[in-house]
This record gives sequence, C-alpha cells and structure tokens, in this order.
Amino acid sequence: MNAPASQRVVDARGLEPPEPFELAMEALADLPNGEVLTLLLDRVPWPLLRILERDGQRHEYRVREDGVVEVLIGGA
Amino acid sequence: MSGARRTLGYEATPAFHIPLSFFLAATLFGVGAGLFLLFHPDALDSRWTPGALALTHLITAGFMLLTMLGALLQILPVVAGASIPAVRPVAIGVHALVSTGACSLAWGFMAGSPAALQAGGGLLGGGLLLFLGAAVLGLRRSEASQTTGRDLRIALIGLAATAVLGILLVLVLSRGLALPFAFGPLITLHVAWGLLGWGGALLAATSWVVIPMFQITPEYPRWLTRFWAPLVLAVLGAWTAFDLLGNELPAWAGSMIPMALTALFALTTLHLMRRTRRPNPDASFRTMQLAMACLLGGALCTLVAILRDEAFWPLAAGILILHGGFVSAITAMLYKIVPFLAWLHLTQARIKAPHMKKLLPDLPMRRQLRLHAITLAALLGAAVVNWNGATRLAGALVALEFGWLAANLLGTVQRWRLTRQEAG
Repeated sequence: MNAPASQRVVDARGLEPPEPFELAMEALADLPNGEVLTLLLDRVPWPLLRILERDGQRHEYRVREDGVVEVLIGGA
Repeated sequence: MSGARRTLGYEATPAFHIPLSFFLAATLFGVGAGLFLLFHPDALDSRWTPGALALTHLITAGFMLLTMLGALLQILPVVAGASIPAVRPVAIGVHALVSTGACSLAWGFMAGSPAALQAGGGLLGGGLLLFLGAAVLGLRRSEASQTTGRDLRIALIGLAATAVLGILLVLVLSRGLALPFAFGPLITLHVAWGLLGWGGALLAATSWVVIPMFQITPEYPRWLTRFWAPLVLAVLGAWTAFDLLGNELPAWAGSMIPMALTALFALTTLHLMRRTRRPNPDASFRTMQLAMACLLGGALCTLVAILRDEAFWPLAAGILILHGGFVSAITAMLYKIVPFLAWLHLTQARIKAPHMKKLLPDLPMRRQLRLHAITLAALLGAAVVNWNGATRLAGALVALEFGWLAANLLGTVQRWRLTRQEAG
C-alpha cells in the first residue's frame, strides 16, 4: 500500500464483537478518498476482512509483536 | 504486511439454520429432562437408578451433544479451516440420527428395554460416525495448525472414544456381551472420556477463542493452551490402556490427574475473568463464572464420592458438572454465539443488522439465567433432602429453564427473519 496522504486511527481494542466491525464501518463511511483508516484490534477480524475483500476495498493487516492487530483500509 | 490474501474461513460458514436447528432441538431435550424429573422424582435416589441414567443421557447425549455438534459445524470451518463436505445433508443426517438415538437410549434406560438401548446405541453410533467421517475429511483438507484447531481434533478423538465405550456398555447391558475386562472401570472410562476428553476438550478449545473475544479478558497463557488438551488426551489414553490391560488403577489414582486438569482450566478461566476490561459484566459473564465454579465444585465432589460411600456425593458431582458446569457454559455461549451469527449473516447479505442488544435483549436473557441459577440450587437441594416434592419442583424448574432458553433463541431468529423481510 502506498504512503497515505493522511491517516485516521480507530482503536477498537477491548470491545465486544461486533462493535469493532461497526466502528470500522462508520469510520469507513466518512473516510475521504485517498485517506487510510488504521484499525487497532485484539485479533484478526475475519468477518470484516471477508467483507472488505468482497467489496473490493483495499486492505492489509499485520500482527504486531505486542499482539495488537493493525488493519489498514483504503488509500490510493 | 502479511496475510491479506489468506483464505478466510467465513467463506465456508454454513447457513444460519444449520447450527440453529441443532441448538433449538437441544433445548427440547432439556425440557424433556425436566418433565422426566417432574414425573419420576425417584430418579435422584442414586446415580444408578434407571431414571438417573435416562436423565443423564437426555442431558449429555441430547442437550450437550446436539449443541456441541451444531457449534462444531459452525466452528470447524471458521477456526480450523475445515470445509465439511456436503454440510447440509450431513447435518440433516447427523441431526436425525443423534436426536432419535438419544431419545431411544433414554427410553431404553427408563423402561429397561434392551431393544431400545440397542437402537439408541446404533442410531447414536451411526450419527457420530457420519459426523466424525465428515469432520475428518474436512480436517484433512485443512492446513490450519493453530492451538484451537488442534484441540478441536483432540475433542473429536474424545468423542470417538466416548462413543465406542458407550456402545460396548450398551452391548454388555442389552445382549450380555462378555468382555475381557471389568464392567465397572468401563463405565468410569466412558464418563471420563465423555466429560473431559470430549466435553472438556471442546469447552476448552472454544474458550481459548470465545472467552477473550466475548468476555474481553486477556488471552489464556500460552503454556496452558499449548499443553492442556494434549495432556488430557495422554492421561485418558494412559488410564484407558492401564485399565484395559487388566492393571486396574485405584479409582482415586485414576481420577486425580483429570480432576487436577479440570481445576487448572476452571481456575485459570476465573482468574482471566477477574481481569476483564468490561466495565459492567453482564449476565452471560456471571453465568460463565458460575460454570467454572461448578466445575471446581464437581471435581471436589467426585473426589469425595470416591472416598465416602454415600449416594449424595456422586449425585452432587453429576448435578454440579452437568447442570452447573456444562449447561451454564453452553447457555452463556449460546447467548453470545446465536445473536452474533444472526448479525453476521445479515451483514454478509449486505443488510444493515440491528444492534446485538436488539437481536437479543438483555432482560429476558438475564431473567432466564437467573432462573438457571435458581434451578441449580433446587437440584442440589433436592439431592440433599431426598424428598419427592423437592425433586418435582426442581424438575419443573429445569423444564421451564430450557423452554425459556428456546423462547429467547427463537426471539433472536424472529428478529433476524423480520430484518431480512424488511430489507426485501
């Protein structure tokens, strides 16, 4: 993924499913073109990734060394 | 970054009605168990009465087995990456065979009918063979190697061992089959594999994922998730080999390590739950704590039952482990899993799903779980006083508790259906 023009971060750790998914969807709805949304989560959000993939939305994720999962959505 | 191209398990998620039909049918077995106790209060005189055996199998082979198989049909594709072949016909076949088998087995115990016992064993055995065959085929294609996936396989080995031992017991009881090993230890092994090797391993494998996710706790310690289930398998395997080779272990020695493993799992779960980040623990959280406390109490009663020859202790152990431990944990998990699945299936169908609290409102859930706790106290009280009136009351409460659970789950289904209809 290219370096984003600007980034928004949503920290959804410590929330019960499906709240992290709902937060991500709300943030995505307001995301201007070219911006990247960074989601911080306790675990890999398989349902969200599945839907992003289905909708052709650009996304990547990684598990950090401290166990936090970072999902990057959007961007040019 | 890595992993975005990895195959996602949710593609293989079975239709909502598949696990749901197992969950709803399971609650009917709970209602049946309650009505049975209402009309046969002498069932609680000791663990060996025909009524107690019928009751036990209505809960274990009926309620527990059906919910666990239904949950596995959902969990295996998602967590272990196993794609169950022909999931719909397999689910229909397993559901029909296990349901009729559990009914027949319970009837066989109650009526002392060898034919019903054999039919029950055969139907249950056929259903489990079909399920295990499909699960093994699915798991062979799976590349998943996470702890939960491995522990689900261990639970399936536990299920197979429980079924084989159970069928041997049915053949001894109904046809006088002569075995080269003693009957008593065979019963103990059947119970140990069923409760720890199957039920315990599945509960643990599910808890590794569900407790941190839904109860917002820290993750289980890695040493525990890495070694707990393999240790259970090794201990039960060694115990079985030891007994079947004729070197019968003293009951306390055979039971000690499984009890210690149960206590380790329950205490760790309670410790994690004390560190939850939830500001206000809900009723399902409290019920899961109750489940763990009951598993500890049940393990303790099992040890006392070995040391003291009194009818109360094995009964108390059975009530605490089955109703207090497994029914509590399963109910608490159903209240998390069913609305989540409803939400997930709506979202995947591009339908705006209502909030989880709308799919399953708090109040009826909280009241049903409160009734569940009262029912547990009534069952224990009935075992203490050994009076038919108290047992009948406990039976009525059991029937009411499971009926209410069914109504709450059906409410979620109704809201899911309405949302779909409104979305066109």
